[in-house]
Amino acid sequence: MTGTDTPMTPDNKAQAHAVRQAELRKRSSGRLMIFGFLSPTLAILLFMVAYPIFSLVYYSFFNFSALRQTTMKPVGLGNYSFLLSDPELWGRFVFTGKFVFICVALQMLIGIFVGYQLQKNFRGRDVIFTILMMPMMLSPVVVGFLWRYMLNSEWGIVNFLLSSIGLPKVDWLGQTNAALWAAAAADTWMWTPFIVLLATAAFRGIPETIYEAAEVDGASPAYRFFRITLPMSAPVLFIALILRLIDSFKQYDLFVALTGGGPGSSTETVSYAVAKTAFSYFYTGEASALAVILLVIIIGLSMILVRHLTKMGEKY
Amino acid sequence: MAEIKLKNLTIEFGAFKAVDDVSLTVKDGEFVVYLGPSGCGKTTTLRCIAGLVQATSGEVMFDGVAVNDLSASARNIAMVFQFVSLYPHLSIKENIVFPLKARGVARPEIARKLEWVTDVFKLGDELGRYPSALPPGARQKVALARAVIRDPAVLLLDEPLSAIDEQFREEMRWELGHLQRQLGVTTIYVTHDQREAMSLADRIVLMNNSRIVQVSEPDRMFFDPVDVFAGQFIGSPSMNLIDLEPVAGGLRLGGSDVTLTAERDRVPQWALSAKRPLKLGVRPINVHLTEEPDVGVTLPVDDVFSVGRERFFSFRIGEAIHQGVDKRRSRAGSEGRVHFDPDGLLFFDAATGRRVNAEDAA
Amino acid sequence: MTNSRTSTIDLATRWLILGLLVVYTIYNVGPIFWLLLSSFKSRMDLFTMPPKLFFTPDLSGYESVFGVGSAKDSASAVGVFDSLVNSVIVSVSGTSLAVFFGTLAGYVCSRFNFLGKGDFMFFVLSTRMLPPVAVLVFYHLMFARLGLADTRFGLVLVAIFANIGLATWIMKGFFDGVPKEVEQIAIVNGYTRMYAFTRLVLPMVKGGIAATAGFCFIFAWNEFAFASILTTTQAKTLPVKISAAAGSTGIEWTQICAAGVVLIIPVLVFFYLIRKHLLMGMTFGVLGRR
Repeated sequence: MTGTDTPMTPDNKAQAHAVRQAELRKRSSGRLMIFGFLSPTLAILLFMVAYPIFSLVYYSFFNFSALRQTTMKPVGLGNYSFLLSDPELWGRFVFTGKFVFICVALQMLIGIFVGYQLQKNFRGRDVIFTILMMPMMLSPVVVGFLWRYMLNSEWGIVNFLLSSIGLPKVDWLGQTNAALWAAAAADTWMWTPFIVLLATAAFRGIPETIYEAAEVDGASPAYRFFRITLPMSAPVLFIALILRLIDSFKQYDLFVALTGGGPGSSTETVSYAVAKTAFSYFYTGEASALAVILLVIIIGLSMILVRHLTKMGEKY
Repeated sequence: MAEIKLKNLTIEFGAFKAVDDVSLTVKDGEFVVYLGPSGCGKTTTLRCIAGLVQATSGEVMFDGVAVNDLSASARNIAMVFQFVSLYPHLSIKENIVFPLKARGVARPEIARKLEWVTDVFKLGDELGRYPSALPPGARQKVALARAVIRDPAVLLLDEPLSAIDEQFREEMRWELGHLQRQLGVTTIYVTHDQREAMSLADRIVLMNNSRIVQVSEPDRMFFDPVDVFAGQFIGSPSMNLIDLEPVAGGLRLGGSDVTLTAERDRVPQWALSAKRPLKLGVRPINVHLTEEPDVGVTLPVDDVFSVGRERFFSFRIGEAIHQGVDKRRSRAGSEGRVHFDPDGLLFFDAATGRRVNAEDAA
Repeated sequence: MTNSRTSTIDLATRWLILGLLVVYTIYNVGPIFWLLLSSFKSRMDLFTMPPKLFFTPDLSGYESVFGVGSAKDSASAVGVFDSLVNSVIVSVSGTSLAVFFGTLAGYVCSRFNFLGKGDFMFFVLSTRMLPPVAVLVFYHLMFARLGLADTRFGLVLVAIFANIGLATWIMKGFFDGVPKEVEQIAIVNGYTRMYAFTRLVLPMVKGGIAATAGFCFIFAWNEFAFASILTTTQAKTLPVKISAAAGSTGIEWTQICAAGVVLIIPVLVFFYLIRKHLLMGMTFGVLGRR
């Protein structure tokens, strides 16, 4: 081309411009992709989660019914103070707590035990696992009805089996305590397979040489289980615990079908109470406040647990 | 401390015989190395001694008592595995004292022993850390500390150094030998690395195809192999193996027109008159290039190359390529005088591969 | 290999373990068996004491679920088949859309770093923890205002929201398994990122998309809380319809059991197909593919 002091001829100027444009396009195409690909998900979640939660908090400060939407009376923290001084609500928390404790304890114990026995490879493992997993494939409502059907005090199969081995019949769904255990039995029936699944995976992840080393080191089977197997699978088991804890805490469907909250209102979980306040009594403001309390507890609980989990993961 | 005796030990996995009728006595305090290619049954034998694999038939005896029915934890053995088997969720200190805690040893005793092994292995700084924070070499050191902390009757080592960097391996090998002599514990060590075997063992047990090939001291293993496999497995580069054809006045090297004679090459008389066909085994260190006209035979020389301080050359007999050591720093040429050191000539039965000596031939 | 080192204590423990496993198996499988058996029982056989194991099968439960035969005209069977149709429409379209959007979001989360990515991921995960009844208090109002109450479209919207987080997390896991070099090579060769995504990366995660769809379908298919509150007559899904069957005229157990069997069959098929990825789906992708 021409002299060295004029590096930009019209020709290579155009070329440089094109290159720069291409660069820009490439960079912005990444940004465009992030924006384009994320926005539907973000929009849906903002509209379906964030907006409802903010509205809930807003409504919780009003005396307000969905049936008469015109009259919204601000009551400040009135709903909260009313709820927290209501002994019935505390009763629901106690009931939910009992239910969660029984369910999680039973499911973890049985799940870890069965998972430990099923960790070995054997023929037909996939088929047996699929069959064992069947309870958690059912809709919780179906589970509720199925157990209600089996637990009927007159003609249910459970009482029939009890009386055929000489035990007294139990009015499962007619007494508060029996109903609590009935619900726990149904929830445990449904979700123990889940713990089995996770526990088996966790146990199978432990290398065989670790067990051999422990055996050579003179550890008894029990010592091996408690000092090697359990601690080494603790992170996975803890995830299982978190999920079951949260899920049984918010359990609703099962109680609708199994007990209908009865006898009386003795088997109403906090979730059940929210639904009843909102959709049977239409105390929307009060229900919002209760929902907010429920959310705060669940979010707080999961944050504490998740933090503990990350701490666990850092160790090794 | 214990004497270990294997009596006609056979281990089968379904149709596969992993160990076939193995008998061996390991003396109290002895360091025995099982050597062999992978899949030869050496690790299976070790795992059977440990109690991790059941014998199909035959006996494993410690101090004259059969232990076949004892579980690994009841045998008073310690073992270090090929791949690191430290407990990842326990600190180094907890790892080391695990065997004592598992057996319910009293606290003061544990503290005393811990102090001792920490001292021996210089692990003072590592005690509070976790296995994932240590390099592989240091992890094996911890595994070794865990193994010896409770004075086992038998120490079993399954390729403990194979997952460690070359540099650190030498150091660990030396330490290991030193430690074994210090403790005087009966030790069985499995490896496929002949250098480890040569430098550590009181006796080497060479295995191949599920059977013991040869049991002897490292020196004899090298100079006095019982068959072609032993001769070729030990030593690097590998022993040259040459077909021989008896002709008038000597033995012709297979596939060539070159003949080794009794006078010039000092081939023993019994070999010349052997009834069965023989093969010649000669190690590269016993093959040299020479310029003296009356010594050696003329063969095509392909290549001269250096491996560190040593110089090797390769020569051809027929189509087969063999190696020798070039002490004279010659250059590659088309032909050369190749001299076989008469002391290094080993003869094998061509059909069975067994070593043939003057006595056998007679 | 025979193991001869069993002492009497070991033997007792072994029998105890076996016994406990048998008890658990009965507890686990028994109710499923009873559900299947009862779905074929006539009203007469249902309440017989002692319960019958052998009886003439009665198909009225299934007839009412599928809206065929004589049983379809019984009072309790009205609209049951329509609810099955609703279930299929809502879960299939909800699943497709959730997987579609989740795949896009999962890809971006796997490949790009952007401001607030950690917060976004946590926000998405937190939808797994959310109690449905809490948001329902507001949905109830919102749906009424927007005219979405008792419509399939409204339920599809809910199905998308309820599964999109799951889909995003699982798909991110599958995309993480595809090496970044795939796109880098394509871009070096002059193709656009979009081309690399649609033509190269997507075909590589086909199996993952299928697994994700399986999970989302299972959850959408079994969903109850949202559907029960947000529908009244037209858009009821099968799980909701069953619970309504427990209403005025006494509980139609045969029909409920038959519906339960019908509900579990597609789930069973999907479960078996995606069994390799079960952990990933059931734990919101927190546990990788083991």
